[in-house]
Amino acid sequence: MLDVGSRGLASESGSATAIDLAHRQRLPRKRRGWSLRYRHRIQLWGFGFVLPTLLFLAVFKYGPMLWAIDLSFHAYDIVSPPRYVGLENYRLLLADPIFRETLINTLFYIAGSTLLITVVGLALALAINTGVPGSRSCMTIMFLTNLMPILAVCLVWRFLLHPYGLVNQVLEPFGIGRINWLTNDSTALPAIIIVTVWRFAPYFMVVFLAALLALPADYYEAAELEGAGALRRFWHITLPLLSPTIFFVVVVSALLSARIFLMPYIMTGGGPGNATRVLPMLIYETAFSYMKMGMAAAISVVLFAIMLVFTALQMRFFLRREQVNS
Amino acid sequence: MSAIAQAVPRHRSRRASSLTRRILVRAKPVVGLVALASLTFFVVLPILWMLTTSFQAGDKMFQFATEWIPSVWHPENYPNALSRGAFPQYFLNSGIVSLAVMVGNVIFCTLAGYGLAKFQFWGDKVVLLLILSTMMLPLEVTLIPTFLVIHKFGWMNSYQGLIGPLLIDAFGIFLMRQSILSIPTDFIEAARMDGAGELRILLQIIVPQCIPALAVLAIFSFRDSWDQFLWPLTVVSIDAFRTFPLGLVQFGEAYGNPATEQMAIAVIATIPTFLLFVLLQRLITRGFGLSGLK
Repeated sequence: MLDVGSRGLASESGSATAIDLAHRQRLPRKRRGWSLRYRHRIQLWGFGFVLPTLLFLAVFKYGPMLWAIDLSFHAYDIVSPPRYVGLENYRLLLADPIFRETLINTLFYIAGSTLLITVVGLALALAINTGVPGSRSCMTIMFLTNLMPILAVCLVWRFLLHPYGLVNQVLEPFGIGRINWLTNDSTALPAIIIVTVWRFAPYFMVVFLAALLALPADYYEAAELEGAGALRRFWHITLPLLSPTIFFVVVVSALLSARIFLMPYIMTGGGPGNATRVLPMLIYETAFSYMKMGMAAAISVVLFAIMLVFTALQMRFFLRREQVNS
Repeated sequence: MSAIAQAVPRHRSRRASSLTRRILVRAKPVVGLVALASLTFFVVLPILWMLTTSFQAGDKMFQFATEWIPSVWHPENYPNALSRGAFPQYFLNSGIVSLAVMVGNVIFCTLAGYGLAKFQFWGDKVVLLLILSTMMLPLEVTLIPTFLVIHKFGWMNSYQGLIGPLLIDAFGIFLMRQSILSIPTDFIEAARMDGAGELRILLQIIVPQCIPALAVLAIFSFRDSWDQFLWPLTVVSIDAFRTFPLGLVQFGEAYGNPATEQMAIAVIATIPTFLLFVLLQRLITRGFGLSGLK
């Protein structure tokens, strides 16, 4: 049902025959004769293809981000015009215990879910990759968690984590009492992390599996001849070869978890107390419950700074790869 | 199956095979299958729970032992849930918005991906970085100013307001660029020699070769828009434009609506993404190799 990789190449070489070889042979002679105007015209087409996207990003990404930075130095409630307050918003934020707790929650959530998504995603991919009969069907079925709307995931898990819910039913034989996962200070955020992993790990499982299938088989054959056990093969061959994919998964899932809003909003409403309040929730509440647009913009800038760190890592990695490829 | 079978190293026993060893070799796939199948079962248990609960009587929700097969089936949960609240309207709105976002992403990401993969123009590297770096500017970060922009445009409570900020996603451009990079430039130049216009080259040479990537792009842009909650919550305040997640939360908060009916709506809401996945799945899995940074 699910066959990852390898087939894509076949279709490419297949359609190569559609194009007359004679044209390709004629190409180098003709190219010298191309006029500058013709080259410029092609360049213009290329730029024209990108232009709609650039306009879109100017209006909906860069413009708003610059506006958010500007707004973070103002007090603004939509009704009266913005009033310049300098660094006042940031000063208030730093002094605010709710903001500090929210920031710590967000970082804890990002760290926890990124780590678990990567480990579980890789473990699932390795399990599928053993090639046990039926493993591909298992993979397709597990991918279902990724197709359920996040809201449905939240609603279902809110019931499952209820004191009388399925999670406690499953854990009961192990002597674990009826825990109210979502209203307990110490379990609420970890519970949300588990739900996040349940939802996203199968997606990254497929990403890992695609990478695993692309690994060169001869390394493994050589290692096996040398008598290396499965664990050593994994540690010395699979893990190093997979490191670009692991890096990619870590960055993408960190960016993904920095945006978490719906899960705490539905499952706990940020509680108990502020135990599961995260930055996107605080932005929304500050802006639309308290009408403090400037303060909300300042929180956005903090969230932006967190995402900037991960994006910078990804960019450096991406540029290095581009150089290797070209 | 064949792709996986080839990639898995064969475990040949070089020692003389004793009886126990032979039994172990035979048993290994079976043990593996049982382990993997039970793992899969635990993973999908919440989905099964959602399905069975949607057919359950309202008062069966909170008893400690889950009744996996309802003693009395209540299929009427579905029509009942749909008739409370304006769910047909909410689903229609979600459908319109998600399809528009999907089509927008497919068109604009293909254009931009092609422009970045196969053309050199002044500042092209900077443009690439500018586009990719918007991955750090999701709606959650730019929520306030984007809301103010939409407010200024007069797009509150409208489809264009719901669709606009989601129309192009940097991830899609990246995906399309990586996919188009692998198409030989010779094809394009040969077509140019034949006098094919640039748009014709795009439609007849580029697009047919990146169908798997397009399928991945289509399903993920549809799903992400179908899932979108924070943005509709911010720009919509009337029933006529509410999407189903807003409607479903409202439904859950309203007094006296049984949770079983909430689950029925959740099941219905899973169907569109599931169908899209089934339709495109052969292509999707092929395209997946691309999404993991080539």
